[in-house]
Amino acid sequence: MAKSKLKKTFVEPLGKNNPVFVQILGICSTLAVTNKLQNTMVMVLGVMFTTALSSWTISLLRNLIPSRIRMMVETMVIATFVIIVDVVLKAFYPEMWKQLGPYVGLIITNCIIMGRIEAFALQNKPMLSLVDGLASGLGYAYVLLAIAFVRELLGTGTLWGYQILGSWWTNWSIMIMPPGGFFVLAILIWVIRETVMKEKKA
Amino acid sequence: MKAKATFYQKRIYPIVFMFVVTVLCILITSGLYLTTQDRAVANELSFTRRAILDAGGLEYTPTTDGIEKAYLQEVTVEDGYYTAQSPEGTRYILPMQGPGLWGTIFIMVGLKEDLTTFSGLAIVSQNETPGLGARIEEPWFTAQFQGKKSPFTLVNEGTAKAPNEIDAITGASRTSEYFRNLTNRASSDAKRIIRGE
Repeated sequence: MAKSKLKKTFVEPLGKNNPVFVQILGICSTLAVTNKLQNTMVMVLGVMFTTALSSWTISLLRNLIPSRIRMMVETMVIATFVIIVDVVLKAFYPEMWKQLGPYVGLIITNCIIMGRIEAFALQNKPMLSLVDGLASGLGYAYVLLAIAFVRELLGTGTLWGYQILGSWWTNWSIMIMPPGGFFVLAILIWVIRETVMKEKKA
Repeated sequence: MKAKATFYQKRIYPIVFMFVVTVLCILITSGLYLTTQDRAVANELSFTRRAILDAGGLEYTPTTDGIEKAYLQEVTVEDGYYTAQSPEGTRYILPMQGPGLWGTIFIMVGLKEDLTTFSGLAIVSQNETPGLGARIEEPWFTAQFQGKKSPFTLVNEGTAKAPNEIDAITGASRTSEYFRNLTNRASSDAKRIIRGE
């Protein structure tokens, strides 16, 4: 029983309850940082770290937090973890920190984090909440990496900064601008809902 | 829980709780900030030094140590600008800023002794459109200023030949224009600051 619940908690955000293409959460950063694989990787690691640990922390405190001020406490905890990510990046990966600019700070507003805390961590035990946060982060991560893969390849002809497509390739500048993010995300959601999700329903 | 919460539960406890959480969070973040501050400052310094070396067209090994060594050896800080001794003569390096399409662009401009010919150029910070205007950070764009004489005129990307022509960026005409205006000011700024003309 306990094991199946753990497994369910872990698998659901990856597939049928995916935060990005099912719940449509965290779209802001999905559009903003997916123009390069490297940026995206750092961003998703930051989000995974924050969702997992803030879900865990809130779950630990869940019986102590007065419900009237729970949003304030949640925001405070999330902000603390995000600042940790920001400070560590700034100190150890300054180039990456410069490229990501304001987006690291904006992890705070990523709806996935607040959403998982409100929907899950407030009712469940710390370890389970940690798994849920981590899995939601993973579900977010692989979708973003898939989008970044397409955008970087078509937009600059590179992957992870290495030239993949030859000089015959004309870069689709629109792919690395925000509209490109909208197009790729929409197509991805459509394809997944029409193929994988539809089979499940039938 | 009782149906009617006590005054303590309703009013005092939330405030105390929030206060405690806030203090804890501040302690954690400020502690981490203070322990990494030295590193962050060193990174910033190294970044600026690298921009100065790039603008002066000076050789260096692209590591933190390499940058520090080359900088300390070759660059002298003057009032509002830097000088460096390169094998081909003195280089004057001027920090400049000017408007871009979205925000202020900060650059380092390196000039040869005539204060008209560029020895190089480096972007310190910019907020232009990613994929379009932000391409001013790409190496080919900054490298093309080497050996060029201001004032510059913009030509289509990939067609610059004359010593006063600069490749604009396709799809970023406005950023290119702002950037041209900024670099065209370099020579007169340098003459004013360095020679008092």
